[in-house]
Amino acid sequence: MQIKNPKDFWAGLMFFVFGAAFVVIAVGTPDFINRIWGDKLIPGYQIGSAVRMGPAYFPVVLGGLLAVLGAIIFFRSFVSHISGDAAVVKLPFNIIDLAIAAGIFVVATFAAKMLGISNDYAMLGSALILSVLAIVFRPETKALVLILASGLAFAYLLKPLGLVIASIAVVFISAYGGHEFKWKEVAILSLVLVIFSVLVFVKGLTLPFPICPDFVESCPIR
Amino acid sequence: MEWFNEMYVFVAKVFQNLGIGFVEVFKLQSMTLWGYSLSHVPFNIIMCLIGVLLGTLIGVLPGIGPVATIAMLLPVTFSLSPVAALIMLAGIYYGAQYGGSTTAILVNLPGESSSVVTCLDGYQMARQGRAGPALAVAALGSFFAGCVSTLIVAMFAPPLAEVALKFGPAEYFSLMVLGLVSAVVLAHGSLIKAISMVILGLLLGLVGTDVNSGVLRFAFGVSELADGIGFVTVAMGMFGIAEIIGNLEQKEHREVFTSKVGSLWPSKEDWKRFWAPTIRGTMLGSALGILPGGGALLASFGAYTLEKKISKYSHEFGKGAIEGVAAPESANNAGAQTSFIPLLTLGIPSNAVMALMIGAMMIQGIAPGPQVMTERPQLFWGMIASMWVGNLMLVVLNLPLIGMWIKLLTVPYRILYPSILVFMSVGVFSISNQPFDCFLMALFGLLGYVCVKLECEPAPLILGFILGPLMEENLRRAMLLSRGDPTVFVDPVAKPISFSFLLVSAVLLVIIALPALRKTRDEAFAAEEQA
Repeated sequence: MQIKNPKDFWAGLMFFVFGAAFVVIAVGTPDFINRIWGDKLIPGYQIGSAVRMGPAYFPVVLGGLLAVLGAIIFFRSFVSHISGDAAVVKLPFNIIDLAIAAGIFVVATFAAKMLGISNDYAMLGSALILSVLAIVFRPETKALVLILASGLAFAYLLKPLGLVIASIAVVFISAYGGHEFKWKEVAILSLVLVIFSVLVFVKGLTLPFPICPDFVESCPIR
Repeated sequence: MEWFNEMYVFVAKVFQNLGIGFVEVFKLQSMTLWGYSLSHVPFNIIMCLIGVLLGTLIGVLPGIGPVATIAMLLPVTFSLSPVAALIMLAGIYYGAQYGGSTTAILVNLPGESSSVVTCLDGYQMARQGRAGPALAVAALGSFFAGCVSTLIVAMFAPPLAEVALKFGPAEYFSLMVLGLVSAVVLAHGSLIKAISMVILGLLLGLVGTDVNSGVLRFAFGVSELADGIGFVTVAMGMFGIAEIIGNLEQKEHREVFTSKVGSLWPSKEDWKRFWAPTIRGTMLGSALGILPGGGALLASFGAYTLEKKISKYSHEFGKGAIEGVAAPESANNAGAQTSFIPLLTLGIPSNAVMALMIGAMMIQGIAPGPQVMTERPQLFWGMIASMWVGNLMLVVLNLPLIGMWIKLLTVPYRILYPSILVFMSVGVFSISNQPFDCFLMALFGLLGYVCVKLECEPAPLILGFILGPLMEENLRRAMLLSRGDPTVFVDPVAKPISFSFLLVSAVLLVIIALPALRKTRDEAFAAEEQA
């Protein structure tokens, strides 16, 4: 068996996994697994009947349908007539990279729980580790990883460090993910954006964002 | 004479209703800004102006679409009145159709996906030194189309809403099926992948607390997911973030024809040639815009193809024919506006932008559907009247401002995208003041990026996402009412409307699945892509 259409292969797999996951979470794990586990591994929700549908009814139907469609797309990829360049998946990372990335976040979250520190640090830390790993080992994913990381940086820096630093972080991290990085230009851009954000979002639209870091006693911008 | 009387009443009602709308649009309000309290501010008209200017701006700039922009601005609209919010967001959508043509003509880059075909002849006209007339024709055609389609919305929305008011849960469920099926049929690429994306969207829409049982579904113990995944979060991730990453992977390449815009006014010969294509484009665009899954994009392609077939200058197409600018430009504007009809009357989005409008209405506490017109006539008619006012502003402002828009084109993307990212992050964070939403946005950005690479279109997912909870709700109610009998949806005697919706959906799917027709569909999309 040879994969003739990798795009369909991965798309089908993705849909199948999503569909199956929704079904399993909705109905719960089957009895024999629960017995091995000793408890209900995934409890599931009530199916109900066609007259009175439980919370699991609609998701199971849809999830099942998605899994079937995913399987069809998956198996079709072995007999597809489309081949050559059109079928090549141009993703700069593979599934192992993706698993490693997800693993970093999971491990960091658990570590934070064990150490009793805020989950925010775990997220920031894993974003940082992932960015460094991407730049060093997978330079072609630089744009992807740094753009996503800039969003995370904003999210988890805003409450402790305030809008000014969070915005500057977004601009610098995302600009570094682009084709060319000019220090002066990025600095000016971040200055302009900080002034704009403070004036429009905090002053104009009165969003409840802190402007300065919370360790600064008296914020110069009011 | 009876028909005359009826006509008279109908027309009078349309104008009466538009009157309500114009009063709302020009209403003077008092407001507070930066601590100053102002009275007598025509706030709605200001929001309309902001909307159309923003729309033109993002239309001009390649790489930012109306979906991402509207998603970005949704959090800003929390603090606005519903009328002002919807007027502004609508302005962005049709404003983008005006702006998109400027980039298409001058740079040979579609600023908006709906101006892809305008590139063909518009850019050729620019190369022949006739950029001015091309821009003018695009603007005038759009204005004409905007006026006509506003009237069409005003005329057809009330009767449609009246019909829709009689819909029960079974009809609604079937209507949503039809809407989703048409969206799938009109999506690019593989049919089965588009269906899968719709279902994935429906499933993602179910995350959160189940309204009937109060059970928290698919939340993995994350308390932030109790209210479900934010709609804005998904849209910004799938469209905004994924778009930026995609753009960054391509090399920047722009060639601007700024020096020779020349005289704007079309010659006598031009006038003679472009009025008929404009009218045809408007008619076709209006019709295609109403279709579920339709909108500006489909309208412009359809109009160009039609014009190429019937024009006596068809040999000039692709070499700078003015018809090739007038027809798609008027069609995309008409389609952008009539796609509001299913949204306003049925509460069913026909494309991703309309799905965002539904999101905006829900945020404002308005349940989209036929009752909006009767319960909030100011909102409904204000929005329609604002479209006409907005179109007028666009044509008056844009032609003189063309120089400014051209200057904006020279702003490099490396300046634009960090700014967009800051705005998106602020917007998503402000929804519930939780970092988790930004994390989700990044996650959906990754999903959107992967989907594009695997040739799965994100638009059907968004439609499914917004309709997921509504569909489940209506399915449950319909099944409860029928005591568990699933034939209630396909009973041609008791539920003829539901039956016909499902029949049409089935026929559409079968037609597309037939090998012969699939081939022509594939060829049509292939032709589009080449264009």
